[in-house]
Amino acid sequence: MSIMEIIGSILVIIGSIFLFLGALGIYRMPDLYNRLQAGTKATTLGAMSVILGVGFLEPDWFLKLLILVVFIGYSNPLSSHAMARAMYKRRVFPWTKEGGVDAYREVIEKETEKKES
Amino acid sequence: MKKYIVLGLLAVLGYYLMNVFLLIDFGMPHFAQGVKDVYLSSSENVLQVSNVVTAIVVNFRGFDTLGEVTVLFLSATAMSGILYKKRHDIGDRSILFPASSIIRAGSKMLFPTITLLGVYVFVHGHLSPGGGFQGGTIIATGFLLMLLTYQNYSVSHNRLVWVESIAGILFVVIGLAGYFMKGSFLENVLPVGQLNDLFSGGVIGIIYVLVGFKVAAELIGIIYTMLHEKG
Repeated sequence: MSIMEIIGSILVIIGSIFLFLGALGIYRMPDLYNRLQAGTKATTLGAMSVILGVGFLEPDWFLKLLILVVFIGYSNPLSSHAMARAMYKRRVFPWTKEGGVDAYREVIEKETEKKES
Repeated sequence: MKKYIVLGLLAVLGYYLMNVFLLIDFGMPHFAQGVKDVYLSSSENVLQVSNVVTAIVVNFRGFDTLGEVTVLFLSATAMSGILYKKRHDIGDRSILFPASSIIRAGSKMLFPTITLLGVYVFVHGHLSPGGGFQGGTIIATGFLLMLLTYQNYSVSHNRLVWVESIAGILFVVIGLAGYFMKGSFLENVLPVGQLNDLFSGGVIGIIYVLVGFKVAAELIGIIYTMLHEKG
């Protein structure tokens, strides 16, 4: 086993662990925003390191895979941002404990009050 | 009286349909063998196309694909017919809130990438999975992103109509060229080239590019009319 293969395998394993944790988070987290975070942050890193690992295992594909990583790196956060913002604007608020602070919620509730009055 | 005539006609039709289906031995091992071997060997040896599905869709059954494109065109036309609004009504889209600046900046970066992917998919339709329909749909999603992000983003309807019409006419012209030069509709008239090259398969690549443009224009038109419909 060459050094490239070892690096590639380690990256693939790290990526798989993160993807697994992302899936677990979607199952386990209490509300939409936490689930969204688990489903996008963890899978962004997971997919990136799996793809990079494949790039180390197959050096011919490295450039193409690098482009893929860049694409995932800016499309995945964008989509999760859009989803989270849309849900907030539709007044789906995050889960908080008693007395938790949610400043953005207050802003949005003021906005809707203004619209209604 | 009418009922009995209809029933009688249906019975006659059913009788003949039943006879036709009884003649075909569905499920018998020799049933599909002839066609399968011809398709597999001639797509590789005669047409030099590595994607057999594309060879079947565009060349062996190209007439069928022309019909599919026409169905899509008709549905797009019917939709714009139903959703048509007078010209001065166009422009106010019903949105809940404008997109954030992150989305605005990001979709400017995403749009060329999506378009490039779509073009890649339909240009390489005869080499890898994908083709005109898929590539056109991908391009249309890029336009959907821009239309959702920018409230004022508009697509020239005339330009869409031109792209679509020229692509459709060229498809038929290529088909007719095959008819007049080789004797059957959509027969290959160009040199076939080498297997696995970008320029292989004769007219298949060109037809898939045309189908890609046509599907993209139709779907963008549908999206545009739907977004401008007043709820």
